[in-house]
Amino acid sequence: MAIATQGTASNYLQRAPSPSGLADVVDLILDKGLVIDAYVRIAVIGIELITIDARIVIASVDTYLRFAEAVNRLDLTQTEAAGLAELRGDNDSGGNGGGKAKGAMEGAKDKASDAKKSLKERVGRD
Amino acid sequence: MVLQTPPTPGTPELSTTALYCYGVVSADAAASQAGTGLGGASVEPVRFRELAALTSPVPPGQVRAKRADLLRHFDVLGTAFEHGTVVPLRFGIVFDDEAALARDFLEPRRDELLGLLRKLRDRVELRVTAHYREEAILAEIVRTNRRVGALREATRTGGSHQLLVELGELVSAELQARTARDVRATLERLQPLALEYDLDAEPIEHQVLRASFLVDRKRVPAFDKAMEELAAEQAARIDFKVVGPLPPHSFVSLEGRR
Repeated sequence: MAIATQGTASNYLQRAPSPSGLADVVDLILDKGLVIDAYVRIAVIGIELITIDARIVIASVDTYLRFAEAVNRLDLTQTEAAGLAELRGDNDSGGNGGGKAKGAMEGAKDKASDAKKSLKERVGRD
Repeated sequence: MVLQTPPTPGTPELSTTALYCYGVVSADAAASQAGTGLGGASVEPVRFRELAALTSPVPPGQVRAKRADLLRHFDVLGTAFEHGTVVPLRFGIVFDDEAALARDFLEPRRDELLGLLRKLRDRVELRVTAHYREEAILAEIVRTNRRVGALREATRTGGSHQLLVELGELVSAELQARTARDVRATLERLQPLALEYDLDAEPIEHQVLRASFLVDRKRVPAFDKAMEELAAEQAARIDFKVVGPLPPHSFVSLEGRR
């Protein structure tokens, strides 16, 4: 019944029958699911007040500087070539535009996964 | 994501007969539910009329959740979902004993739970995430916003702090605008194939969206096809991922919960 087994394989769409990491499981079972307030107990005992802030503060000078840096490092000729290749349907590069810059958004990804990691550590600490 | 704070300070001692509750199934489906729950205890149904709660005993004294427990909770629900319809509970719900479970949950919420079981029958949750490809989206912004292009030229070989901040701020605003547009466009494509959707509101800057869709099992292939088309169209700038079918974690709630 997993989607992953249906149809033809796609180069574009990533499929998985279930979440691949604890962070994604945590999303589903700590944030969602039926709640009966009076009875939420284990979570508060075991995982005390995990206020994971995976939210990246967008409106900060630091973030702006990271974006500026990433934009300045961009090689537009590279991404143009990739863009044209996409238009021609010549798509074997996976549209990754040369994959040179590791910039602002990578940083954000790292931060987000750091936040999740620290959650994992706290959850799994004993 | 913020977990609820305890209603009372301190850590309550659980009674020796405490039952951890994973979810609710219909009583006639309960027989096929077995497996291992938190701490290796076996999962047992607690029946109340047409309903059965999937439970396992938790050790007396204070219980501390570990990561393995989180995964156990998820797996027990996954197994139940393979056998039929399940109403997933959030992690961490414990009742003092069977009587309390029936008295405080199954009995007063019987109609709602039966309604949920009917509503969720043959329906699955599909979780969709989408991320921008950094270089592509930034290049798009540089090409389409003249001021960004000009500021980039002005700062490439070292501009003033002020200009860099202005450049970054413009890029950030463009990203947010694009995110909003792409979320709308994605939902327009997927919403017609779903009964409900639930959009996570957690603006991580590279993330276009993280959302769950409640889909008729029969329409999963159609949803998958739409996802694949969308991913192919957007392949140059957005990476899409779909996870599921999952138990409907995101589509259960009780009216006026206490």
